[in-house]
Amino acid sequence: MGTTVGVTRTSTIDEESIRDAVFRALDLVGFEPHGPVETVAIKPNLRFYWDYSTGETTDPRVVASVIDYVRERWNARARIAVVEADASAMRTRHAFPMLHYDRLASEKGVELVNLSDGEVCEKEVTVGRHKFTFPLPRMLFDTDLFINCPKFKVGPYASGNALHITCSLKNLFGCISKPRKIDWHPQINQVIVGLNKLIRPHLNVVDGIVALGQRPVRLGLVVAGCDPVAVDSVVARIMRYRPSSVQQIRLAEKEGVGSAHNISVVGENVKAISKLFPSRSPLAFKLTWSGQLWMLRLYAKLSGDAVPPLLD
Amino acid sequence: MSINVGIIGFGKMGKLHLRVSRYMKDAKVVAVADPSRRALRAAKKEGIRDLYDDYHELLHRADVDAVIITLPNFMHLEGTLAAVEAGKHVFVEKPLAMTSADCGRIDDAARRQGVKLMVGHNYRFFDATRKLKDTYDSGAIGDVVLSTLELVHGPLAPSLESQPVPEWYFDTEKMGMWLLDLGHHVVDLFRWLFGEAEVIYARLDNHYGFPYEDNAIVVLQSKAGPKGVLHVGYFAKLVFPAFDFRVILHGTAGCLSTDQLVPRNLRLHAAKEGIANMLRRITGRQIKPFSYTYFYSSYVEEQRHFFDCLKNGEEPVVGAKDAFGTIRLIEDVYRYCDRVPSTAVRVS
Repeated sequence: MGTTVGVTRTSTIDEESIRDAVFRALDLVGFEPHGPVETVAIKPNLRFYWDYSTGETTDPRVVASVIDYVRERWNARARIAVVEADASAMRTRHAFPMLHYDRLASEKGVELVNLSDGEVCEKEVTVGRHKFTFPLPRMLFDTDLFINCPKFKVGPYASGNALHITCSLKNLFGCISKPRKIDWHPQINQVIVGLNKLIRPHLNVVDGIVALGQRPVRLGLVVAGCDPVAVDSVVARIMRYRPSSVQQIRLAEKEGVGSAHNISVVGENVKAISKLFPSRSPLAFKLTWSGQLWMLRLYAKLSGDAVPPLLD
Repeated sequence: MSINVGIIGFGKMGKLHLRVSRYMKDAKVVAVADPSRRALRAAKKEGIRDLYDDYHELLHRADVDAVIITLPNFMHLEGTLAAVEAGKHVFVEKPLAMTSADCGRIDDAARRQGVKLMVGHNYRFFDATRKLKDTYDSGAIGDVVLSTLELVHGPLAPSLESQPVPEWYFDTEKMGMWLLDLGHHVVDLFRWLFGEAEVIYARLDNHYGFPYEDNAIVVLQSKAGPKGVLHVGYFAKLVFPAFDFRVILHGTAGCLSTDQLVPRNLRLHAAKEGIANMLRRITGRQIKPFSYTYFYSSYVEEQRHFFDCLKNGEEPVVGAKDAFGTIRLIEDVYRYCDRVPSTAVRVS
């Protein structure tokens, strides 16, 4: 029997319904920690300073529900930290208050940790022919429970790569301590898989309350599971991608991160939900982006016109 | 005679103004000043040889006739006063200063020194807003009774940028209250269209956990009669070329919106203008810089106007007095919110 992925939905989007959907999804997965749960790290996905309604950032209400679940099921006194690292264009110290994670922290009595500030350890990993060394926060290796809370969304255009999806696997990219992550964009798929070989979340709880395809869509969805490859495969299917066509999933499976096969999906009907998702063609997306930038540079060169610094 | 120009402050706006200046016939940027090494490296990469980490050194140069000031908001006062006292003509990005009183100080100094001063209110130079004002001024839509002015942007980081947003953006002491930054444009446009005005309602609120408001509804009434509802926000994920700006005028003889005057499809517009510029280049004519971006050509127009004023000895259309009026009206909004806390939420 393969791994279990729980899929739940809520038709109304409010704090109580989201909590219910998260609890049901986690109950379906049936994960039980192997040892005592004294320390917990929860990693949402914060992108720039855009809030959850844009489909870019994990809804704080989903994280709040995960906190409640940990306290109700495993340890009411667990020390819980919500963690995120600085990114090329985002500073966590501003993102936490702006995106209302400050409020969440004070309401739930949890810590907010900037992964770019704490103790860092250098970790080496090999993915195929590529060898990487990542500066990673030590706390992620010391915590009793690491819960990954990614957003359900299509991937960005990153230095020539148009990622199909940004979900459980990709969310660990945000664990690199160094803010200037753009330097890793050229080999993004290998980097994502390398990070997943080094950091192994115990649970993945995907926020699809507002998902992002060609546009944001209120799906009211929660997808949960222990195996990030299995979870992302289910998410890919809802986005109407073949999991085998998503490079990071294919590569992660090959490198032994998890399995995209023999998945037991419990809860909602994935096929029915996939009809509601505003799918995006990765090829068209890539061509649109790279084509526009290429044409802009060519045009500027031939015409002598300038490019606004915004588009540098 | 060519005008030698220095740029003080070489962040995103400094770089933009440098690129725009390359298309000015009689002006040339000869020096850049910025305390940041990275900024100076960027200026060097753009071909500027004379670089200063202290702008006072740039101001000491006798061969510099004018400066473009693109410093952080809180440094506009000291930078502009120093430039004016050094006898330089000044183009300064908005807001001219953090308070109307400081705008008055700058105005006095500029008059005393006999230098020209222009404030970068580029929204007045959009093709659409110019056409809208011309149509209104011609009487084609009669007397305007009601108007709506909307500008929504942000929050903070456009998606293509890989640099963090400058720290001073998060500091109200340095940024100024938020209406002073983005809201400044629509308040200025209302005054430009209808003259002096007063605040009859305001509500400031925040969607994000900013240390200051990120959305506002302000109702203004001009002394000439027209009323305007101003919607300003810093909360939307907009990726270039998306742009959420409009002015709608409801007159006694008709209605007009900038949405009717802006190209419906900005990508198609970019393609058309790109082809037109290529043809201009091939046939040896002057290209229309930034015209493919539509909104960025306003920076070309405002800079051209500034240098034309210097050459012809005319006063720029947006001087310290305009900036004073706009900032005083913004101060009135905050005063209103302090006075009427039950109807206006002021985020402190």
